[in-house]
Amino acid sequence: MSQIETFYDVMRRQGITRRSFMKYCSLTAAALGLGPAFVPKIAHAMETKPRTPVIWVHGLECTCCSESFIRSAHPLAKDVVLSMISLDYDDTLMAAAGHAAEAALMDTIEKYKGNYILAVEGNPPLNEDGMYCIIGGKPFVEQLKMAAEHAKAIISWGACASYGCVQAASPNPTRATPVHKVILDKPIIKVPGCPPIAEVMTGVITYMLTFDRMPELDRQGRPAMFYSQRIHDKCYRRPHFDAGQFVEAWDDENARKGYCLYKMGCKGPTTYNACSTVRWNEGTSFPIQSGHGCIGCSEDGFWDQGGFYDRLTTIKQFGIEENADTIGMTAAGVLGGAVVVHAAVSALKRAQKKTQEKVEG
Amino acid sequence: MSGARLVVGPFNRVEGDLEIRLDLDQGRVAAAYVNAPLYRGFERMLEGRDPMDALTLTPRICGICSISQSAAAARALGSAMGLEPTPQGAAMAALIHMVENASDHLTHFNLFFMPDFTRPAYAGHAWHAQAVARFTAMQGSAQRAGIEARAELMHILGLMAGKWPHTLAIQPGGVTRAPGPRDKVRIAATLRGFRRYLETVVFGGPLEAFAGMQTVAELMAWDRGDAGLFLRIAGDLGLAGMGRGAGRYMSFGGHGFAAGLWDGGMQALDLGGIREDLSHSWMLGEGLHPSVGQTLPDEDMAEPGYSWCKAPRLAGRTVETGALARQVIDGHPLARDLARDGGVLARVTGRLLELARLPGMMEAVAAAIDTGAQFLAAGKLPQVGTGVGLVEAARGALGHWLRIEKGRTAGYQIIAPTTWNFSPRDAAGVPGPVEAALVGAEVREGETSPLSVQHIVRSFDPCMVCTVH
Repeated sequence: MSQIETFYDVMRRQGITRRSFMKYCSLTAAALGLGPAFVPKIAHAMETKPRTPVIWVHGLECTCCSESFIRSAHPLAKDVVLSMISLDYDDTLMAAAGHAAEAALMDTIEKYKGNYILAVEGNPPLNEDGMYCIIGGKPFVEQLKMAAEHAKAIISWGACASYGCVQAASPNPTRATPVHKVILDKPIIKVPGCPPIAEVMTGVITYMLTFDRMPELDRQGRPAMFYSQRIHDKCYRRPHFDAGQFVEAWDDENARKGYCLYKMGCKGPTTYNACSTVRWNEGTSFPIQSGHGCIGCSEDGFWDQGGFYDRLTTIKQFGIEENADTIGMTAAGVLGGAVVVHAAVSALKRAQKKTQEKVEG
Repeated sequence: MSGARLVVGPFNRVEGDLEIRLDLDQGRVAAAYVNAPLYRGFERMLEGRDPMDALTLTPRICGICSISQSAAAARALGSAMGLEPTPQGAAMAALIHMVENASDHLTHFNLFFMPDFTRPAYAGHAWHAQAVARFTAMQGSAQRAGIEARAELMHILGLMAGKWPHTLAIQPGGVTRAPGPRDKVRIAATLRGFRRYLETVVFGGPLEAFAGMQTVAELMAWDRGDAGLFLRIAGDLGLAGMGRGAGRYMSFGGHGFAAGLWDGGMQALDLGGIREDLSHSWMLGEGLHPSVGQTLPDEDMAEPGYSWCKAPRLAGRTVETGALARQVIDGHPLARDLARDGGVLARVTGRLLELARLPGMMEAVAAAIDTGAQFLAAGKLPQVGTGVGLVEAARGALGHWLRIEKGRTAGYQIIAPTTWNFSPRDAAGVPGPVEAALVGAEVREGETSPLSVQHIVRSFDPCMVCTVH
């Protein structure tokens, strides 16, 4: 690995100044919720560590995750992150085509065996031996397994890779299956959302590349720094919820006043994501701000929960709030075993620790 | 290379998965077979659901033209309700949609199409060094500037649509977000920034000057900006005559552009004449009009089928759809002049032409925002009924056909632009538009992914995830 450049080399080669580099490090620390003491650590890590190669593959999906990613407003992301992770294989953006593209994938796997991160967008359909999604004449599930074999960790981008998303909607015609049900022996981090917020994507990947390990995960395998609070907790319309002021019909007087969208079917109270804090399109807005309720696109099974405009009936207006893990437990219970929830929390925590050590080692 | 066969795929720098089988003869493509190897079954999922679910599910067919899907679903539901959006609601939905279309054209030019000219095979050409500096995949200076300009333009989507991709703001009766005076100012400022970017970087001159050109001769003399670089390359490589289409164009019309059918002259557009032929698709059943159509995938993937894509035909014939088709039907003199060749140059210029025209149209909508108006009208879905939603996505004509029974979706059929363009053969053996355009393309000795084939395929800007859905 010694011949591989460091992140800092790559960034300097891309024409990024030392000053911008330091600014990037401090903004990254802030974005990840780390104190100023971490700035020199990040800088040191990036100056000395060889850059981590990333292989980005696409299964059954709509490319919305890539679309979100390339619009990131993360500090200097447009220049830094793209050059830093230097997507060694990405079939939406790369130069090579056809057989050359397949060769590039094999070369990258061979060259960085055991050291690359595999980013998966979309998921494999398993019906008909995977024939509903064919890459280079082979089912995507084969490409996925092959690329996963020598990866040190896997990122499941978006609701597709994490949970199945809309293509898994009943009757799930192609048996679209999330990554963690196909790849069982690798540490997997889920970054759900349809798509995930760009800054969350770059934040997660920056953390992994900088510290060479996974960020702290919640019980469902999501990075806690972005998925530990409900949209409802930080929603700017929350005061209206507490005051019992609701939109009753589209574009009514209350809608103009920015009242709470709970009665219009908003799923903010049961959805764990950073939309209400990080927001979208470079911090411009998020769905609730555009006057439409949250549909809970970062939660497992959001596509099959009855109508998207049905009001939630299970939430209390006041009372003791619960954390992501307990709520997740209840929600998953309702889903009827869509996720593995019956294992003891502590056992999972241990396993998680182990996988983290594996990444570090 | 006589009688040889070549499989090109997976195709990168197109949206989704695509594979093309080529029969070669004397260094030329003799026949092409386009396979869309990705099937998800959205139409099946919608059956039995609350019809309003289409607003959430159909945009997720595609992360690139998600708003087009959203707009078509809203129209289909609106037409089933017998509901028209309020005028200001319709105007804002159109603005959101135009932002997406402009972004798509920009992405196609910078990220998908132009990088092909940086290949080492073109190293001997005078323009090659400039192409490499501007358009090398993921590094070129034009690509970075383009991504940045696009992200800034999309602030309008942030403001009006909440998030992009996959907005929920477009509803049958209008939009959920009533813009205030502050939003109006911000939208206008964002559009000014976008215009400045286009005028300095992409066109190197006023948008109106580019959009005002009348003939191909005038066009080829445009030497400024990245558009100028493209035209220089196009002249040198003869892109005008490469990948010629059949010259039949269709547009459903929208946000100011006319609807119609062009076949050497304007013709009446009768959508009752659409049939989705299934003879060469891995689909079961018979070829029907989408209002009564079905999607029954053939799990055996039996011959002679070779694609998940259906083969839509209008009055039994193929039609090409996209920005060029839209501009030809809208009567733009340059587009009509380009249509005489109808090749790679014409399709790419059609997009540039639209990119030059859209900012003015968006500015007009923004200036006319009436913050006191109603932006959303209420409607009610019938227990039994039908609806049609026709819009123009960046890549062309997109239609949703909805059938409601007992208050639930009984049938939902989608024909996307790329379904028209990338369709397989029909029962008469007539190839789809791209398959036909590829015939005659040059395959040089030793080429496994022929450059000409790549230029032709990308000139259509395929969106494969929409194609089969």
